[in-house]
Amino acid sequence: MSEEKKPELSRRQFLKSVGAAAAVATVGGAAGLHKGHPETVGSPASVTPQGVGERTVSLNVNGEVHRLLLEPRMTLLDAIRDRLGLTGSKRVCDRGTCGACTVYLDGKPIYACLKLAVDCEGHKVETVESLAPDGKLNAVQQAFVNHDSLQCGFCTPGFVMCVNHLLKTNKSPSLADIKNACSGNVCRCGTYTRIFEAAESAAKAMREGA
Amino acid sequence: MNAFEWVTPKDLKGAVSALSGDSAKVLAGGIDLLCEMKEGLVTPSHVVNLKSIAGLNQMVGRDDLRIGALVTLTELAESESVRSQYKAVAEAALSVGSPQIRNVGTVGGNLCQRPRCWYYRDVAIECLKKGGDRCFAEDGENEYHAILGGGPCHIVHPSDLAPALIAFDAKVEIQGTSARSLPLLDFFVLPAVNWGQENVLAPNEIVTAVTLPKATAGWKSAYYKFRERESFDWALASAAVTLRMSGNTVQDCRVVLGGVAPIPWRSKEAESALKGKTISPALAEAAGKAAVTGAKPLKHNGYKVRLAANVVRIALLRAAGLEEA
Amino acid sequence: MSEWNDRSKTKYVGQRVTRVEGPLKVSGRAKYTYDIQLPDMLYGAILGSPHAAAQVKSVDISEAERMPGVKAVHVVAGPGTNLRHQGQDVAAVAATTEQQARDALRAIRVEYEVRPHRVITQVASQDPERMEPFPALSDEAQTALRAADATIEGSYSVPVRIHTCLETHGCVVRWDGDDRFTMWCSTQAVHGVRGGMAQNQGVPAGNVRVICEHMGGGFGSKLGPGSEFAVCAALAKKAKAPVKLMRDRHTEQLTTGNGPDAHARVRAGARKDGKLAVIAADCFGTSGYSAQWGMPFPYVYRAETRAVRSRPVRTNCGSDAPLRAPMHPQACAITEQVVDELAYALGMDPLELRLANTDGVRKQQFELGAKLFGWEKRNPKPGSDGGRFRRGMGVGTSAWGGGGGPGSRVELTIHRDATIEVKLGTQDLGTGTRTYVASIVAEDLGVDISQVRAMIGDSDFGYSGASGGSTTTASVAPAVKTASLEARRQLFEKAAEMVGQPAEELDARDGKVFVSSDPSKSITFAEVCSRLGVAGIVANGTFDASLQQGGVAGVQFAEVEVDMWTGRVRPIRVLAVHDCGYWMNRLTTESQIIGGVIQGIGMALLEERKMDENTGRCLNPDLEQYKLPGPWEMPEIVPHLFETHQKVAGIGEPPVIPTAGAIANAVFHASGLRIRHLPITPRKLLEAMDERV
Repeated sequence: MSEEKKPELSRRQFLKSVGAAAAVATVGGAAGLHKGHPETVGSPASVTPQGVGERTVSLNVNGEVHRLLLEPRMTLLDAIRDRLGLTGSKRVCDRGTCGACTVYLDGKPIYACLKLAVDCEGHKVETVESLAPDGKLNAVQQAFVNHDSLQCGFCTPGFVMCVNHLLKTNKSPSLADIKNACSGNVCRCGTYTRIFEAAESAAKAMREGA
Repeated sequence: MNAFEWVTPKDLKGAVSALSGDSAKVLAGGIDLLCEMKEGLVTPSHVVNLKSIAGLNQMVGRDDLRIGALVTLTELAESESVRSQYKAVAEAALSVGSPQIRNVGTVGGNLCQRPRCWYYRDVAIECLKKGGDRCFAEDGENEYHAILGGGPCHIVHPSDLAPALIAFDAKVEIQGTSARSLPLLDFFVLPAVNWGQENVLAPNEIVTAVTLPKATAGWKSAYYKFRERESFDWALASAAVTLRMSGNTVQDCRVVLGGVAPIPWRSKEAESALKGKTISPALAEAAGKAAVTGAKPLKHNGYKVRLAANVVRIALLRAAGLEEA
Repeated sequence: MSEWNDRSKTKYVGQRVTRVEGPLKVSGRAKYTYDIQLPDMLYGAILGSPHAAAQVKSVDISEAERMPGVKAVHVVAGPGTNLRHQGQDVAAVAATTEQQARDALRAIRVEYEVRPHRVITQVASQDPERMEPFPALSDEAQTALRAADATIEGSYSVPVRIHTCLETHGCVVRWDGDDRFTMWCSTQAVHGVRGGMAQNQGVPAGNVRVICEHMGGGFGSKLGPGSEFAVCAALAKKAKAPVKLMRDRHTEQLTTGNGPDAHARVRAGARKDGKLAVIAADCFGTSGYSAQWGMPFPYVYRAETRAVRSRPVRTNCGSDAPLRAPMHPQACAITEQVVDELAYALGMDPLELRLANTDGVRKQQFELGAKLFGWEKRNPKPGSDGGRFRRGMGVGTSAWGGGGGPGSRVELTIHRDATIEVKLGTQDLGTGTRTYVASIVAEDLGVDISQVRAMIGDSDFGYSGASGGSTTTASVAPAVKTASLEARRQLFEKAAEMVGQPAEELDARDGKVFVSSDPSKSITFAEVCSRLGVAGIVANGTFDASLQQGGVAGVQFAEVEVDMWTGRVRPIRVLAVHDCGYWMNRLTTESQIIGGVIQGIGMALLEERKMDENTGRCLNPDLEQYKLPGPWEMPEIVPHLFETHQKVAGIGEPPVIPTAGAIANAVFHASGLRIRHLPITPRKLLEAMDERV
């Protein structure tokens, strides 16, 4: 194996020496709260934003190119929601575990919360709003309505995007295919089985319509 | 997330030199890095985008199969040559996260991701891995932690891909100020060696490719991952097995476990139990038990011993085509 | 006294009607609070306590106030404040961008004096300061236990679960002057929030307008103004600009409520005939730092001798909030396992024992469910399948109120252009409120549902109560019905002049008003409308108690498969037989039942808030380690609507109640392993196997 190597001294550890014993300051939300003993101290995390500020980023969203002034740290999700007003993609977990923010990047479903907007330059982004541009629902969306595959509806756009992508590549998906396609998405109201029904019926409608 | 400078080097040399700055981080798919940045676990001044470098997303096969670090998990899982020659690798790639993650996550990123230990992931907890002086899992909530190779830190390595690649004797290519290549097994380090990180990468080094040798191509293989939440979860235990068969006899094999140790855990004991024997359900069971030799469970994860043994057993039955219906 | 329509003749009411807001929701056009954007709107963010227990010594916001983009900083917990749990609000910031607000939070310096904490209920229960100890079991109970033909004894538990609304708690507040504001919020009670906010902001109630067009899940946690609402109002006032403040996922999980845990040390006995003789239990659980806790135990089944004591346990954790059928699923899961164990102890079929202890509707449901589910195919001996994958069946039951109450005020207008507006200040949690409101009116006026606009989710509309306790439909639908019938009466009066027949002889369907005995004599709805005055027809509706009735029973049967190698429990199918009264919409009623079952599966197999006693911190305030069921956890779910009367009743809560108990019993039947502590994870099954060896 490798040579023995001591862990690097992190900045956090370095700053930790700030604290004292009994009644001690911790900075809100900051690092270093619990070291060895809960009564010990935390440390100021880096406060001042470092690096560059805003830059111009070209984003191709739903076939339209937008030139946006934004910070590199802005996620694709925040850019499309807060800057472009495309709020169909939802922020739920903000950590790539729920699928409510699913968009297509170059035609493939991804989590917009785990993608930097600046990292999408030169790529095609499509959001749920692209599926019914003129307000007419596509076959998947209509099937979701028909089968009542939604309740509060907050997860729904993400599921619609996943099922829609599945049916583009698989005309006759099995139940397992549908579950796999939706496995990165979470619904709290409990609509999964209705979503499966919608996916099956949309596939059928698309086969018959073709 | 802290603000940072966005760096898009044109070549590896540029990337390496960008990493020599104060606190730069490499971004490939960005899945793990963005999670870490959002939690404040890392606060890089520079984020170095590898996707601007040509060629890192290529898969090239002549004798060996060379998989660029930026090949996505979806591409890997769907590759015909991987599916036919290195089946366990395709299965492992397909078991990672969710479709949305596999469409973005990369081979290099999967190997270099940080652990999911909930003490590590909580920025307010100054654990050993973050420069503190104790592992909170040791006498805390450790049901998801290591049963093998733990101490002084008890994380499990989260990679699904690594066990499968190691089971095919993969090598990893690394670019720093100079290039180097080593067996993927040796890429990972136990906490006893270095509890601050999970591998041998220096701060200015980048994983550029993984190479699968022709020697093991076409061996029978399987990757079985057991998740608590079947839909989308980390492995409670996983196993990659490769078998070179002569009739029903195991000529050679590899057994590598995931989710049970701070590194992908190659079990020589399980391999010894298999070599030269006739494959059977009973042999798979015995090899599974051998795989957890020396396990030292913590207070809440003793169940993983039985689980890991059975996970190995299932992987072996699948590889050998003996799985019960 | 009115009646609901005969369902064999209806077009909408009681049929399968797709939700009217469905197209908006599937296309991403539905605007939730999280999606509201106003000109010059700022973003708020809240700093939570990093400690489970601490006193605030000082808060320094000077640096934060100087940060780029920061327009307001608000201290919630000033010096001297005792903080009782991690995540509790300490201070908040409003800034031009969300990132700036978060940057500024990191610049707020708070000095805490850390205090001792307890965050794990079992640990805290050992401390007499946090839980009063239980006295010895009464003589009466001991005697009854000795006299029973079979007894069981065990400790059972259900962990703390978190609502995990996908839309986090939050709001947008815009002050329209010094003493008047509008707020958009994710809530289960627009009128309740208006009252609460007027009070906490010190403004007249009429000066507050609360809007909630769509909301992304509440499950009981959004019944009143959350602490973030007042914080947001304060920030908006200070910044003199509208502020959007949505909680981030971490503080959502930590601070906006949870479903308490339940622990019970139970001793129970039954007679040979299956009658429950005695249930003695010491029960405890935590609702956070408050001293309120209790559960309806034993659930549904009654024993001749009942000796149940309950204790709250004070912990440094977030407070509870009603979580879909508060405390019922917990009580049910424990009770159903206890009675199951008693049945096996007697050598009796578990269903038979239940039949011996129930009557009326529930008994009929058990019998029907057993038949539909194929209970008789069940192997009576648990864990007898052998082999790696083993199947088992289990059963559980529910009891709920679900009746309505007075208060809802509905205003219905038929315009001269033949469109119809129905306004009332209720809200839709995802249950389909808008759809049945429109259905009732479309049915009675004989028009297409698309002509009816159901306007809800605004405190400027007439009062309607909070959506909790499964009371919404039973409260709202009768009020809509009375408005609808009044509008119909006025419509027929107008039409009577035009058709030349008495109003009593008219009926309406398919856009026509016609003579019942001779449908050829008709006039179109549009024609009647065109003759209306400018005001159109205005009809008001209020609650009519005769249209609703509470008291609903349900039973569920579950089949699972247990993998004896890995401890995986896979739900195979669930049959949910629920008394739904007169259902408004078969489609959405079934959806409610399915959703309840799915949440019950989460409770049975996955969900648990994990606390760390050393640090006092929650280890899974996220969607990664707080595990919700996903597509692969889904069984086949069959809702069966069991009708006992023609009155409307609520069905939001009942279907979540029986599932976990039914699954736990099915796991035992499959594997022979009794896992008394939910969730039934692979770990617990594997540990049970290790113990058995």
